[in-house]
Amino acid sequence: MSLSLFGLLTIGAAPRSRHARAQRRRATIWHGIALLVIFLSSVFPFYWMVTTSLKRQADALAYPPLWRFSPTLSHYTDALFKHDVAGSLINSLIVASSTTVLAILLGTPAAYALARYEFRGKRDLWFWFISNRMVSPVVLAVPFFLIATKLDLIDTHIVLILLYLTFSLPIVVWICTDQFRNVPVELDEAARLDGASPWRVFWRINLPLAMPGIVVSAIFAFIFSWNDLLYALVLTRDNAATSPVAATNYMSGYELPWGEIMATGTLIVLPMVIFALLVSGRLVQGLTMGAVK
Amino acid sequence: MRSGTVSHGAQAAAARKRVRLKFWPRSPAFWFLFPAVAALAVIGIYPLLVALYNSVHQYRLADLEAGTPFVGLDNYLATFGDATFWQALGRTMLFLCMTLPIEIAVGLFAALMLHRPGLPWMRAAARVGLVVPMATTYAVVGLIGRLIFNRQFGVANYLLSFLGVQPLDWLGDPTLAYVSVMIMDVWQWTPFCALILLAGLTMVPKEAEEAARLETRKRLTILWHIERPYLLPGLTAILILRSADMLKMFDAVYTMTRGGPGAATEFISVYIERIGFRLFDQGLASAQAMLLLVLTIVLSRLYIRYIYREIA
Amino acid sequence: MSKRFLQRNLAMVSAAAASFLVAAHANAWTLKEAAAPYSGTTIHAIFLDRPGYAAAEKLIPQFEKETGITIKWDVVPYESTRQKEVLNFVSGGAQDIVLVDVVWIGEFASNKWLVPIKKFTDDPKLADPALNLKGFFPILLDSFGTWDKVTYGLPFDNYSGLMFYNKCMLKDAGFSEPPKTWDDLLNVYAPKLTNASKNQYAFALQSRRGETQSADSFMRMLWPNGGSLLDAKFKSNLMSPQSQAGLEYRQKLMKYMPPGIVDFDHAEAVNALAQGQVAMITEWSAFYPTLTDSSKSKLGDCLGIATEPRGPAGLKPALGGFSLAVNAKSNAKKQAAAWLFIQWITSEQMAKPYLEAGGVPARTAVYQDPAVQQKYPFVKPMVESWQGGVPDYRPRFPEWPAISEIIGEWGTKMMLGNVSVKEGAQTIGSKMEAILKKAGYYDGKKPLLK
Repeated sequence: MSLSLFGLLTIGAAPRSRHARAQRRRATIWHGIALLVIFLSSVFPFYWMVTTSLKRQADALAYPPLWRFSPTLSHYTDALFKHDVAGSLINSLIVASSTTVLAILLGTPAAYALARYEFRGKRDLWFWFISNRMVSPVVLAVPFFLIATKLDLIDTHIVLILLYLTFSLPIVVWICTDQFRNVPVELDEAARLDGASPWRVFWRINLPLAMPGIVVSAIFAFIFSWNDLLYALVLTRDNAATSPVAATNYMSGYELPWGEIMATGTLIVLPMVIFALLVSGRLVQGLTMGAVK
Repeated sequence: MRSGTVSHGAQAAAARKRVRLKFWPRSPAFWFLFPAVAALAVIGIYPLLVALYNSVHQYRLADLEAGTPFVGLDNYLATFGDATFWQALGRTMLFLCMTLPIEIAVGLFAALMLHRPGLPWMRAAARVGLVVPMATTYAVVGLIGRLIFNRQFGVANYLLSFLGVQPLDWLGDPTLAYVSVMIMDVWQWTPFCALILLAGLTMVPKEAEEAARLETRKRLTILWHIERPYLLPGLTAILILRSADMLKMFDAVYTMTRGGPGAATEFISVYIERIGFRLFDQGLASAQAMLLLVLTIVLSRLYIRYIYREIA
Repeated sequence: MSKRFLQRNLAMVSAAAASFLVAAHANAWTLKEAAAPYSGTTIHAIFLDRPGYAAAEKLIPQFEKETGITIKWDVVPYESTRQKEVLNFVSGGAQDIVLVDVVWIGEFASNKWLVPIKKFTDDPKLADPALNLKGFFPILLDSFGTWDKVTYGLPFDNYSGLMFYNKCMLKDAGFSEPPKTWDDLLNVYAPKLTNASKNQYAFALQSRRGETQSADSFMRMLWPNGGSLLDAKFKSNLMSPQSQAGLEYRQKLMKYMPPGIVDFDHAEAVNALAQGQVAMITEWSAFYPTLTDSSKSKLGDCLGIATEPRGPAGLKPALGGFSLAVNAKSNAKKQAAAWLFIQWITSEQMAKPYLEAGGVPARTAVYQDPAVQQKYPFVKPMVESWQGGVPDYRPRFPEWPAISEIIGEWGTKMMLGNVSVKEGAQTIGSKMEAILKKAGYYDGKKPLLK
């Protein structure tokens, strides 16, 4: 057993003998098992959420837990149409995509500057970006609410998009700064010698090479904006309510309609999973690109 | 390809230089930075200043008849003397010290598994699977926790029954409730750690890895000498972000246990929410939040000092 | 007949006819007419995701059609309702119809956020002559809508604590009717109905930290025993023998309740009855639909409903509910429109439709109909509960939220055994008195209202 684990932890050297090949195959099996465990443990509670959303309430709360049951889609139709989760999903989509795009547009150049240039106070500036996320939302919610009321921005998409920049922008800056640092400076210098402007260097050379990091930061920015509850609860009403708000509206304090709640939860997670599927291709692309020889 | 010993060759391959440019409004750096800084300054600074202002005034939303007089450091002093505040903070710091190492260790393992070549389809599936926990709304995570850890009909007890363990009172027993919150947090945030560390791993130059592979078969040596420098920035980011987030952790805990039973899961943010939004004492809550901000900054500086290394 | 005779009679008859017509016209107040100046106004309300509000939502189109007033509502989680409303009050957010939980009335009224209904009932253009405030259950109007003898709101979403029990489980244990007193429940019924090895328990008391612990678990044990939270001078009454007896009773009951009861919220307690795990619960009347819904409950015909058990001090069941009031910060037009809606939805004329749509009105008349009593088995015990009961089952003053948090924490600690009943009661008492002292109840600054 320990031999196979050791094999798992080797970096996959070219097999030199039959023994080594057999060991490599065993290592691959353990690799596969490890990946399977990762997959299952990530997905199990989600699986539980989905199955609960398809069960009638009496089934959902039965013990021992029912693995077989007659499914019902009524919770989904109730959630989507009666409780307007469909509308809230669209709102969430608009808000999260806009803030992510904005964060990438503003954040990647900033990260590049922090990675490439030296100046006084750089360290502090870099730290200041992330400190925006450190204050408890409970005490920022009231000031935001008062300002938004004065500017008549309550229950609009734009107010959330701007507010969420305070969490998505720092993430983008932080992750991308390191990615840009790892792009070889020689490339920059070579391009500058060829007469490229700093912008071109950034756009053509650094950006593509830092793609995996940018993609990861985009995923995070999207997720954090998608999942925020407190600010959305305070700043929206029925027009711009986002999905987490819709998910918690069920908490009437008395009943807990498990089916509808889990159905809403599932509907909220799905767009994220699709988004991740779409961009994980870029992640792989980054992996195969590696560094320049 | 460079030759040489592992340490020298690989590190040379990983060496980077800095470009030094003077920073002034004409320089490109300024223009690269300006939009982001301006946006954050406009949106973020004003509410922060208001919160700071509130912390030195009496500001009780449900009692505005009493006015909002300047009270100096009264709110801060009240917080220092508030045993419940310190207990909640202690509980939260303990949570941090126990949960973060688990998330990082498991996250690193997952990142290594995803980085290891081979089994492309399984790796892709695992990568997408990792997004699921993070994407689940925090309040719903708390509710899923209530379903899974329910003593009567929860699947956790059901699975444990196969190991011959008697049903545990996950949510009704103070210690177990704390553990349930830990489990849900590990479930939700380990993927975050894994993905950040994976992003770091992808930046390790292939030639360094290949050179190292020729030198030794010991995975841990490679990890320590070659990959570690690329992981440290990500590790620092994880430490800082997760610490800040745990001090703000509210939705999942609240929907799962409401801070109970007793005060077992009353974390600092649950306490601040009570002060700020149930007792509506925004002045006191702002003082508490400012203290937490100072704590987070101190912690972050420490992380940066001792862990972060720029790729030299 | 002489001409003069005719003339005089004609005059009298005309005068009579004229005055009759004038009187008749004066009595013909209609909603449509009253609402005419406000047609086209949009007003905002906050609702919860509960049957009473769904019922109102079904009826709102009828109101909108008749008056031309548009009503927009936000559905908000209960835990965030007070927060949203206070933020709206403080910053001028758009809200005209205020949802007032029984325990918020003191806070909202003393902050002058609500308009006394007198402003509208004194206005002949807005006041429906058929309003009949006396037609409400007095306890509901007093408790949910009145503070310091001024009425601000009309009771809208009304609950009583009731005992729901499993007839079949009781029958199997040899009981043909539910316990009449708490004593009986503990000493006679509970031992026979509890069988831990079969995962069956006699009782489930929802006790989760939060308002559930304070209102459902803690306060419920005080009143029937003759105890109370505060004495006449607003000092803690928790150390009195009656209050202590009540709290000790709860500890004794723990062994007949499922393990982990301290974490049970309403959903868990109702579910425990619905799944056949416990035999009896004392819960809000609003759970009747859940317990009779076959997709959520396995009870079927085994469901029995009765008033809560009595204590030495009589029938003092849990009381809870919401009233609708008018936001003092709204402009005059919106205030009037809001009033018209509130008056309409709680009127006697709308009581039956509201009941049939799933709501629980506060009007005595609608429940006197035997057909209604038969169709809704919870009506009889609920009406009985509302005729007795304690209006200040929970103190409704502004300090309640803070005190509720203290009870939530220490009440659960008591149940867990972390502190003894005496210690817990003393801690709650001293913390509570500290809050009340700071608020000025002990030195005469604040009138002793609850």
